[in-house]
Amino acid sequence: MTRDTLDRTLKILAVLTVFTLPLWVTNPSYLQILILLFWYAYLTTSWNLVGGWAGVLPLGHSAYIGIGAYTSTILAVNYGISPWFGMIAGGVIAAIVGVIIGVPTLKLRGAYFALSTMAFGEGLRVFVENTDRLGSCVLNGPRGICIPLSNSFWNFQFMDKAPYYYIILIMLAIALFITWHMSRIRIGYYLNAGGEEPEAAQALGVNVAKYKVIAMAISCFMTALAGTFYAQLALYFYPKAILGLDLSFEIAFIALIGGRGTLAGPVLGALILRPVSEFSRIYLSSVLPGLHLVIYGLILILVMIFQPRGIQEPLTRFYKWFLDKVTVSRG
Amino acid sequence: MKRTSLWRNGFFGVAALLFAVVMAVSAGTAIAAKENVVKIGNIIPLSGPSASVGVQNQYACDLATEMINNAGGIKSLGGAKLVNIYVDSKSDPTVGVSSAEQLINNDKVNILSGCWNSAVTYPTTQVAEKYGIPFIVPVSVRNTITERGFKYIFRIAAKDAWWARDQFKFLDDMQKSRNVSLKTIAFVYENGDWGVGMAEQWKPLAAQYGYKIVLDEPYPSTSSDLTPVALKIKKANPDVLLLTSNASDAILLNNTMAEMKVKVKAIVGTGGGHADPMFRKNCGKNAEYMFDVVEWETDLGKAGIPEVNAEFKKRHGYDLAGESVDAFASVFVIADALERAASLDPKKIRDALAKTKLCSGPGMIVSYDCVEFDETGQNKNAGIVMVQYRMIGDSLERVSVWPESAARKGFKTVFPMP
Amino acid sequence: MDTILQGIVNGTLIGSIYGLAALGLTLIFGVIKVINFAHGSCLMVGMYAAYWAVKLLGIHPYLAMVIVVPALFFFGYLMQDIVIKPVLKAQSDVREPTEVIIVTTGVWYILDNVTLMIFGAEYRVIQTSISGKIFELGDLIISKPKFYGFIATIVVSLALVWFLKYTKMGKSIRAASLDREAASLMGINQYRVYNIAFGIGTAIMGVVGCALIPFYYVFPTVGVIFDVKCFIIVVLGGLGSIPGALIGGVIVGLIESMGAQFMTSTWTELIVYVVFLAVLFVKPAGLFGSKLDW
Repeated sequence: MTRDTLDRTLKILAVLTVFTLPLWVTNPSYLQILILLFWYAYLTTSWNLVGGWAGVLPLGHSAYIGIGAYTSTILAVNYGISPWFGMIAGGVIAAIVGVIIGVPTLKLRGAYFALSTMAFGEGLRVFVENTDRLGSCVLNGPRGICIPLSNSFWNFQFMDKAPYYYIILIMLAIALFITWHMSRIRIGYYLNAGGEEPEAAQALGVNVAKYKVIAMAISCFMTALAGTFYAQLALYFYPKAILGLDLSFEIAFIALIGGRGTLAGPVLGALILRPVSEFSRIYLSSVLPGLHLVIYGLILILVMIFQPRGIQEPLTRFYKWFLDKVTVSRG
Repeated sequence: MKRTSLWRNGFFGVAALLFAVVMAVSAGTAIAAKENVVKIGNIIPLSGPSASVGVQNQYACDLATEMINNAGGIKSLGGAKLVNIYVDSKSDPTVGVSSAEQLINNDKVNILSGCWNSAVTYPTTQVAEKYGIPFIVPVSVRNTITERGFKYIFRIAAKDAWWARDQFKFLDDMQKSRNVSLKTIAFVYENGDWGVGMAEQWKPLAAQYGYKIVLDEPYPSTSSDLTPVALKIKKANPDVLLLTSNASDAILLNNTMAEMKVKVKAIVGTGGGHADPMFRKNCGKNAEYMFDVVEWETDLGKAGIPEVNAEFKKRHGYDLAGESVDAFASVFVIADALERAASLDPKKIRDALAKTKLCSGPGMIVSYDCVEFDETGQNKNAGIVMVQYRMIGDSLERVSVWPESAARKGFKTVFPMP
Repeated sequence: MDTILQGIVNGTLIGSIYGLAALGLTLIFGVIKVINFAHGSCLMVGMYAAYWAVKLLGIHPYLAMVIVVPALFFFGYLMQDIVIKPVLKAQSDVREPTEVIIVTTGVWYILDNVTLMIFGAEYRVIQTSISGKIFELGDLIISKPKFYGFIATIVVSLALVWFLKYTKMGKSIRAASLDREAASLMGINQYRVYNIAFGIGTAIMGVVGCALIPFYYVFPTVGVIFDVKCFIIVVLGGLGSIPGALIGGVIVGLIESMGAQFMTSTWTELIVYVVFLAVLFVKPAGLFGSKLDW
């Protein structure tokens, strides 16, 4: 077996495993954890388009999740529009908002950009928390919105967890494809150049700002879709849960732990960080409240100190070493 | 170089330690599963802003569980012991929902309990209903929790409509008996699920009782300064001030109002932050004469209260609060139902819970006579007591004053507030 | 009318304390070009230190500064030296290393939750001899602890300006903040400078802790309340600018205090964010920031 065939076989196997997982993971709570895991991977992949490539650190992406969730839910509850269409509408609104916010902020540097996105996210949360109704649409302020039960594909609601699993899996696959594709066309090169050496790119006549705004629009659009997905999965959401700072931070952490600006980073980050935080919270919080968050903090610090490019780097190295080793030893 | 190697070693050391802790805890849980036990899954806030009350709930449940287990456990189940599994909800509904699924599917809990925050309880009870696992709600007051036609949800506490109703009834009573005229009213409440829900109950009642609303002010409960709110109250100058506050903001608002010399004829709280033992400890004289609605008080003349409270205080250094008592009583309600069900079948436990009429025993330190659920699963007897803060010696005490039957002997309600 | 005046006075006083808290953050940023996300947690540590100093030793909260401020200095010094320096070294060619932001966030999680483990989640308030004391000027009520906090802000900022201008270390800090490579070429040990700047930034949180403790409560996540506020203030005023931090603080304090006279106080939070974004869009360097930084 040559190195390439082995590589391909392993990758096909991995894809097959992921797609058949619900057949043998029948326990709904494990499936739920997997769904949330892919949900985070998807969010982080979307975030990565701005946060990974454009060389800035957005800390307000939960705003777009909220825009997605609220748009599709309001359309469904008030006007009976299927969340599938509401999802697209939410995405478009989020993209427009993203551009409006992005044009003035994306030219800011480092901390200024990070904090202005954070202020936007927090501002939106405060706005929603203080608004009971917007025109004829009920936002319900801090109490959030409950989506009435009605299981059907049209209503984006399923009794079973498996459909949710496949939906988020396909969304993640598409997001990864978009990322991969973008990295191979002009915008990817420009963004990459602009992220690392903004002045140099500017000097070469590349309009980095324009490409950053395009990346922001795509990223916001994709993020909003995740908002709708979450709303339909949980059937209940409220501002603190989906518009909060915590969620925005978590996305950024997963990206940085996994390796920002890479294709595999967000997925690997979610794959490692999510189960750790989920299981340590469940099993350790009763022993000593707060211990799970200390562990989380420790992981953040240790990874940043030893693997500042994220864990994708040693893992890729290990994978390559493994491929070499196996193919060499077999002759 | 030296530091790096130290760091490396440190890294592996920490990793190994974490691994060991996780393994030990999982092993511990696995062993527990083999014994004759009934597992209760508690989803409560153990970190984040509501952690303070969550921990008090945990302590109360632990005390109750210990009392039941020491008395021989569940006799109809061969002396089965109750085991509490606590999971941190972080006050986050998503976490609540996934924790409930986890507890039901993996830990195979027999009964669920929680979640303190109404926002968490609301979606989490839906999970329990879906799986058909009995869910006891000790505290969360949002009306709709028991108004969805669910079969497996039982609530010990009164719902928020009842709290608001009694606050107005009390004010009405006072106006008549003390010949004080109260014309204007101000609502000040934390801008969360709970505060906004209470304010919604207040508004129609104020209209019904003929008050003029002069201020309707939500505020963020993580405010760093509440002087602006205190000033607004001062400017509006209402006869009655109704408050709904969490712990930290209750203390801050109270002390700020005292500083800004806000004078009102009656201030009425809605439990929560105003019932928190920390409020009493930290406000002192500033809170004297204010009223608060609660479900329970240490001075209620009921057998068992002094002993249980003394034991609790000995362990944790503060008194039981109304909400901890709901949690405490809930464990006895569970034990009682298990005793009668004589089975771990969730359906049978559910049916036993529905037929609950618990009137005696060490757990019944609640203010009313019996715990009984109506067909929606709401405890229909959950009663409400009005207390007034009074200085007794050097310490601020909560004195039950209303209704007459619950009033502490030898105290006369001071109304209006001086 | 008098509530307006009262609002202005109170907004200025509390705003100056926000400004003092932001001062530490802006100093640290000025030097290592990193937003210290653990800043609020440092404040929390300062408040707990003040709380225990007052509680155990029974001393006046302002006297407690003698213990709390040096303690916090070493705390910040060590934090920078042990946790942040390794990352900073690895990223020495990056101007604003994002990794450091994440490390400070990790520190924030650890500090808050270790405190939760040690002291529990309960809210702690301590009655000091000046708690709840007021000055009365006619109808105007001025809270004594807040007024002293205001004085502390002025004293600390003047001292800081003097230190940066006239001491050798202060000059090194300023040099490092302008150009760290050039500074290290000039023989300044940049990491030592960072440690000291970080220490001073954290020590200021000790002052804030002592100033807050007579009227504010302590609990493990108290820092979060001030965190976002400090971020807003420093950017509003211009990252790295001392007068910017103070004026930014007063602006936020006034918006909160005055805004509430005209609208529900929850909306003032939104006004703060809107003003913040508006200033950034018009003047990206903040009110007093240098153009180099954005």
